[in-house]
Amino acid sequence: MIETKNLKKAFGSISVLNGISEKIEKGEKVVIIGPSGSGKSTFLRCLNLLETPTSGEIWFEGNQINGPKTNINRLRQKMGMVFQQFNLFPHLTVKENITLAPVKLKLMSSQEADKKAVELLKRVGLPDKADAYPKQLSGGQKQRIAIARALAMNPDVLLFDEPTSALDPEMVGEVLELMKELAEEGMTMVVVTHEMGFAREVATRVMFIDEGIIKEQNTPQEFFDQPQDERLKNFLSKVL
Amino acid sequence: MIQNIMDWMQRLGPRLNDAFLVDDRYKAYLEGLKYTIEIALMAILIGCLIGVVIAIIKVSASGVRGLKWLNVLCDLYITLIRGTPLVLQLLIIYNLIFTARDTNEVVVGAVCFGINSGAYVAEIVRAGIESIDKGQMEAGRSLGFNHIQTMFYIILPQAIKNILPALGNEFIVLIKETSVAGYIAVPDLAKNAQYVGSRTYDVLPPLFIAAAFYLIIVLGLTWLLKRLERRMGQGDRDKKSKKSLRKHFRP
Repeated sequence: MIETKNLKKAFGSISVLNGISEKIEKGEKVVIIGPSGSGKSTFLRCLNLLETPTSGEIWFEGNQINGPKTNINRLRQKMGMVFQQFNLFPHLTVKENITLAPVKLKLMSSQEADKKAVELLKRVGLPDKADAYPKQLSGGQKQRIAIARALAMNPDVLLFDEPTSALDPEMVGEVLELMKELAEEGMTMVVVTHEMGFAREVATRVMFIDEGIIKEQNTPQEFFDQPQDERLKNFLSKVL
Repeated sequence: MIQNIMDWMQRLGPRLNDAFLVDDRYKAYLEGLKYTIEIALMAILIGCLIGVVIAIIKVSASGVRGLKWLNVLCDLYITLIRGTPLVLQLLIIYNLIFTARDTNEVVVGAVCFGINSGAYVAEIVRAGIESIDKGQMEAGRSLGFNHIQTMFYIILPQAIKNILPALGNEFIVLIKETSVAGYIAVPDLAKNAQYVGSRTYDVLPPLFIAAAFYLIIVLGLTWLLKRLERRMGQGDRDKKSKKSLRKHFRP
């Protein structure tokens, strides 16, 4: 579904990604962990071209995302993204946040989108917040709305960029719970996170990125119980 | 000394009467007012249009290699407009471009004031756009909107709230600046006041009256903007970004 070929990214003279070739299949839940500054967020943001790679190729459902003639906007409609800082639209109500893109991009009529929004709000457990503004919500609620907003586009894959890092500890659970449910429903997910419990429980594959390359990857069981890479052992001993 | 001032004040009444009511002269002011408002409204519209377009180009093109020349062009426009006197711009545009016999001075004036205002509006709008968190653009793009769609659906609606005070200030300045339209023979409020003065052989009273007209328009507009601001402020308000905009106010 998603494939990167020798993906490299540098910011000025600082090289962040040093050649990542990887395949993510439909239905997989890939969790990416790694120390800060390792390039894991950059890798994720390259997947939907929020960062333009310096070299290498990214393919999504048979289209080269960073190809010269690719309509990136079209492809992004199928790749939902959830941000660390939620990035809800503060001038719109919760419902409008969810319906804006499907309606304006003419994927749904406004009635259909409204119906979908009601469904999604029920789905994320916030059916009574349709007419609230983002500033009236708690962090956890905001992130659940952000997930609903991404889901409204019926994406084929969801990208999560540290979705719980900006949350109060109390609210992490509700967001992870929702993500877990999505995973169980079969959504393809790529998640950058520091939540090792989530990785162990939900991931089909865990990746350790350090110094801009994938140092190790495995099933969660193997990954956490028998790490091979020295750096990973060191990392896990600190975070577990 | 005091006696002199008292005398002058006492005589002002009849003089004002002469300048305003006698021979239905108030009609001249109203006629002029019509032109002033016409020009100002058209100019505000043109200015906003130019300003928004230039601002979007400036915040969008700077990162794209092939569009750098567009950015340079916009900078040139803003530098030229802000660096030269309005009256000269007015005369130059009038004489350079609109030289045909049947030139409509009101339209020329509106276009010229609009082009002038556009440069200031562009800077105000640009600062407003830049005050919005860049995560908003990313969120919009990640949903499949293109750059321009994200601007119009997500960034600008938020920016407008921040820029309204500065924009209102610009409108006020613009309305008053249209008083130089007389240079290209538009019989606007200021020009007609001078005309009345030349009829009554008493220059000062009509100028007072015209000034009062401008003051009333500006006060009305200020009141309107305050209300609009308050209504928009009922949503969320970001005080700090508003403060940072203040330096873009026109002197």
